[in-house]
Amino acid sequence: MKQSDDSSIISSLAVKLIMRARYNDRKAVLEQVRMLSPGLDPHDQNMSELRGGMSAARTRLAALDASGYGATRNYLDGAVTQLSPFIRHGLIQLSDVRDKALADTPPQRAEKFIQQLAWRDYWQRLYRDAPEDIWNDVESYKTGFVAADYADALPEDIALGETGVACIDQFIGTLLTTGYLHNHARLYLAAYVCHWRRVKWQAGARWFLQHLLDGDPASNNLSWQWVASTFSHKPYFFNLENIEKYSGQSIDTAFKRNKPLAGSYDDIYTRLFPNLEPR
Amino acid sequence: MRLIWIHEDAMTLDHPVVVAAGDEAKPIFIWDTVRHDHLGYSLKRRMFIYESVLDLDIPIYAGDTYASLMELSAGQPIYAADTPDPYVQDMLRRLRETQEVFVIDAPAFVDIPEGTDTKRFFRFWNQAKASAMMTTEDIQANKTPSKDK
Ligand SMILES: Cc1cc2nc3c(=O)[nH]c(=O)nc-3n(C[C@H](O)[C@H](O)[C@H](O)COP(=O)(O)OP(=O)(O)OC[C@H]3O[C@@H](n4cnc5c(N)ncnc54)[C@H](O)[C@@H]3O)c2cc1C
Repeated sequence: MKQSDDSSIISSLAVKLIMRARYNDRKAVLEQVRMLSPGLDPHDQNMSELRGGMSAARTRLAALDASGYGATRNYLDGAVTQLSPFIRHGLIQLSDVRDKALADTPPQRAEKFIQQLAWRDYWQRLYRDAPEDIWNDVESYKTGFVAADYADALPEDIALGETGVACIDQFIGTLLTTGYLHNHARLYLAAYVCHWRRVKWQAGARWFLQHLLDGDPASNNLSWQWVASTFSHKPYFFNLENIEKYSGQSIDTAFKRNKPLAGSYDDIYTRLFPNLEPR
Repeated sequence: MRLIWIHEDAMTLDHPVVVAAGDEAKPIFIWDTVRHDHLGYSLKRRMFIYESVLDLDIPIYAGDTYASLMELSAGQPIYAADTPDPYVQDMLRRLRETQEVFVIDAPAFVDIPEGTDTKRFFRFWNQAKASAMMTTEDIQANKTPSKDK
């Protein structure tokens, strides 16, 4: 392989060689990204702490704790890896991550983690086999509503994180500022958009893809469809108590600031899906 | 000169496509801002992608993906990592009309029989688990012979 050969400057209308900023000078990198992105909204100021690059990927991979993963992964502060942006953009391969887990951890203890890696492989296979399913309902909704009952566009209060539901606004704030959300927070947010606000999953999926550093058409859209019930047997929903259980101190789960999410599963089910038989 | 198109689904030089393309091939990245606008990518996403390619230390060109690849390759073969992304696949299909294109896959994560039922995850997992729990080296050594052999 020939290493970077900047001498061959090509000048034409179609293509322009870029004088690259230094990776370590983040301010210069930011300026260059802005310069190279004339279509980007000038009000978009959020720059994640999470940096791209192979060295960052290797550091994360070295910190992998596959043995503690199974017991804690559902907690917002559990032993999840934040490897997803690097995997999504192919800086590291799923097989490398699996090999690292097996090198450090007995197979039985690593199984839950490897099963989660397999979810990505699974979604990617579906993407290859049926790319049309990525933006279309795979099946119909199983919520007692039809697709036409759901709004096409994401309401502005959701896009801005100003829904007035405290923990939902916190999750949205994290999405907008860091570009990363824990899997459980993604589930909560997607269910809020689809079921509490009755918005089409496509609108939510597109919004996630704009912000998630790991935004991937297959993992994202098919997970949204799983929540919406267009690719599962039943809709996914939750209650405030569940967020309380998994979120620790960092999330505001006070009843008075999260009323729409409060109640038993049966109550919420009846509220969200009034056309279905009660549970 | 042979080109290796480093696209946004495989931003690495540690990939079999680089080996397959050989020592003389030149890896390049195309920054296609119109494509990012179309996808609605936020500043954060663009930063992540840009930092990832900067760290690879390869030439970065700004332009329309197809036009840039046509011009830079000047009819020579193009190598690219495989991806399910229809946008990349379509690009490679169009390039194939004028030149040789080689698409190279990364090592498989699991080895499952063709035609495995993938309607729901756990049906897939039941078939995939045995190989998913093996190292990549062992999977390659044990590979299920393909049907037509
Ligand atoms: C609504 C919704 C949207 C999502 N959008 C995306 C997306 O755009 N891109 C994306 O990569 N994942 C997506 N996921 C899946 C999952 O939430 C993330 O992969 C995971 O949270 C990433 O964090 P992590 O790297 O710390 O994961 P870990 O728990 O540490 O898992 C390790 C790796 O396994 C893979 N993985 C784990 N769980 C899943 C899963 N359920 N589906 C697919 N892959 C998984 C990821 O590559 C991840 O990096 C989405 C899930 C939901 C519910």
